Amino acid sequence: MTNIEKHYIIDPNSLSSESYFASLLQEAYICGLLSALDIEKIQMQCLAFLAYKSERYNGGESSSIRVEVAENIMKSNLYTIGLYLKSLPDADCAANELKTATISEMYQKGRGIINVKFQAAQHVYKLTQKNKMDTLNYTYNATLNDDGIGIFFKTYNPNFEAHEIPAAIDYQLCNSATDLAGVEFIQKYLESLYFENEFCANFAAADIHHLLFGYDEGYQDLLINIFEQVLTAALGCSLAQRNVMKLAISADEIQSLQKELSSYDDHALSIMVAKATEKVLDELNIVSLPLQRYIEQSLPKITTSIAQALKTNNLDKVFISPVNPGLISKIEFSSGVKMDDANYRKLINELLICRYSADKLSLINESVKSFDDLEDVLFDAQLNEGEITMVFSMLENVELAALLRRHPFKSNIQAVDLSEAEQAVRLSLKKYINHLPTDRQEQIFKIMTCLTAEKQAVFQ
Amino acid sequence: MLSFEIMNISSPLILQQAVAEIEKCNDFTSQFGLMLAHRDAVELVETRALALKNNGRIEFGGGVLDKIIREFCHSPYISMYNYAETLHDLTEIFYFYKNETLDLLSDDDLLKFMKDSFDGKCQGSLELLAGRALANMARQLRYGDDMNESEPLTNAEEDEDDEY
Repeated sequence: MTNIEKHYIIDPNSLSSESYFASLLQEAYICGLLSALDIEKIQMQCLAFLAYKSERYNGGESSSIRVEVAENIMKSNLYTIGLYLKSLPDADCAANELKTATISEMYQKGRGIINVKFQAAQHVYKLTQKNKMDTLNYTYNATLNDDGIGIFFKTYNPNFEAHEIPAAIDYQLCNSATDLAGVEFIQKYLESLYFENEFCANFAAADIHHLLFGYDEGYQDLLINIFEQVLTAALGCSLAQRNVMKLAISADEIQSLQKELSSYDDHALSIMVAKATEKVLDELNIVSLPLQRYIEQSLPKITTSIAQALKTNNLDKVFISPVNPGLISKIEFSSGVKMDDANYRKLINELLICRYSADKLSLINESVKSFDDLEDVLFDAQLNEGEITMVFSMLENVELAALLRRHPFKSNIQAVDLSEAEQAVRLSLKKYINHLPTDRQEQIFKIMTCLTAEKQAVFQ
Repeated sequence: MLSFEIMNISSPLILQQAVAEIEKCNDFTSQFGLMLAHRDAVELVETRALALKNNGRIEFGGGVLDKIIREFCHSPYISMYNYAETLHDLTEIFYFYKNETLDLLSDDDLLKFMKDSFDGKCQGSLELLAGRALANMARQLRYGDDMNESEPLTNAEEDEDDEY
């Protein structure tokens, strides 16, 4: 069958979306659509237009302008013209337009497109706020708010800084809007965010919370993409023949998937993921074509993660088992009563004059009845490393966990801010824990995660 | 070839145009006995280009030179003897203080302030104009004060002024 597809002189893939005008000039010149004379004429027109815009910028009150401001205005002009050229049917047509139309005409048309895009972006922004997810993730909430992306609609200056993105956007999309600038970027970003919200709206906020908590209990502060986690979990459920709605896949099922999918090559895996996606779309009754397309665009990234995880036997890092934080048993401490100051002073004085370590230990064992007092003694009694280690050896797992939670040794740099005594205690504790058998270490760390924020322990 | 390098926009045509504009000012300044030769005009344009470059600025069209000439030609402290030299200095001072005043003043306002100070308390001293009057004004402007409310000169400062 004859291919009737139109042949283009300029390859559209060789053009940059962000700097469309400059890349089009370059390609048009290389392909012979524009001569050196044409290019020079366009450059001169651009400079003349810059002079006009600079005068407008200065309000006619200043004949000179700072170079960086002029450069910014020039970028803004080129961006605006680029938007118009991009709106033409193809790059060849755009190159032809460069020959026939003046820079000023193209700028005016580009400016009109900016206005339309700005209004469209504003509309999508309202829609994204309506279908916003109920999540604890900080970057998501901070970005989708009037002090985040909302700043753009108050401060965007299409006349002189059309290419800028004056907004606080920290939340990362699954399909990031790269190679775009200005209002074009914002529009694309918001559209993508709208699709992500739309997909996640099919699941209960609590289920998403449990899933993300299973991913990391501190997910509130992480720079993660929620849609990607939810879609991956839904695909995992679909592959494991589970109900997609709850996003719940068990560790055993992940193990089974690991065995089952390991035998597939990359191509077969892609087909499996595509089939699982169809099932997800069916089950969630997603009929919106743009949303389907957005999900399809996200698949290569997720498939690559799955393939990589299968190779390294880490599928449980991609498919996450949800964890309900409400069901995790918590250990709550009530601190023992601290001894009064006079008795404490007496104890410290005795410890300071005590000659033998064994005597010091028996004194601590007899006199200290509260966890807080133990901490104070560790800091004040000038115990050497061996003595501190012996004190630790008297402690149970729960007490060690509480101590470790209060005094973690994270790095030498962090330790600089601590007192000498505290540095010694933290370092000794770290060394002591590292020397414990692995299973006991795990028990201690597990207890640490179960300790409630109000860390008060009973020392008996 | 496809770059939009805006620092190098001083084409010979634009420079010739600027020189012609300066020479045209002779028609107006001749009534005060002030004239610039063609060579002076070329050098003045070169000084402007250098001052713009040194201060990280660009200018389109004829620029501010003719405004400086028209503002200062009737100063009692300028004669044919120091005319060209003073214009060179004023050009450099002007662009420097456009930056120092954060572009908050228009060309006309800055030139008026320079002229008033030059003829007034600076008594024709370019050093006082640049180092004292304009510096004070720029500082006050940056701190949000009214530029007309400059600090009165103390006796000590007045003594210092005498050294110029």
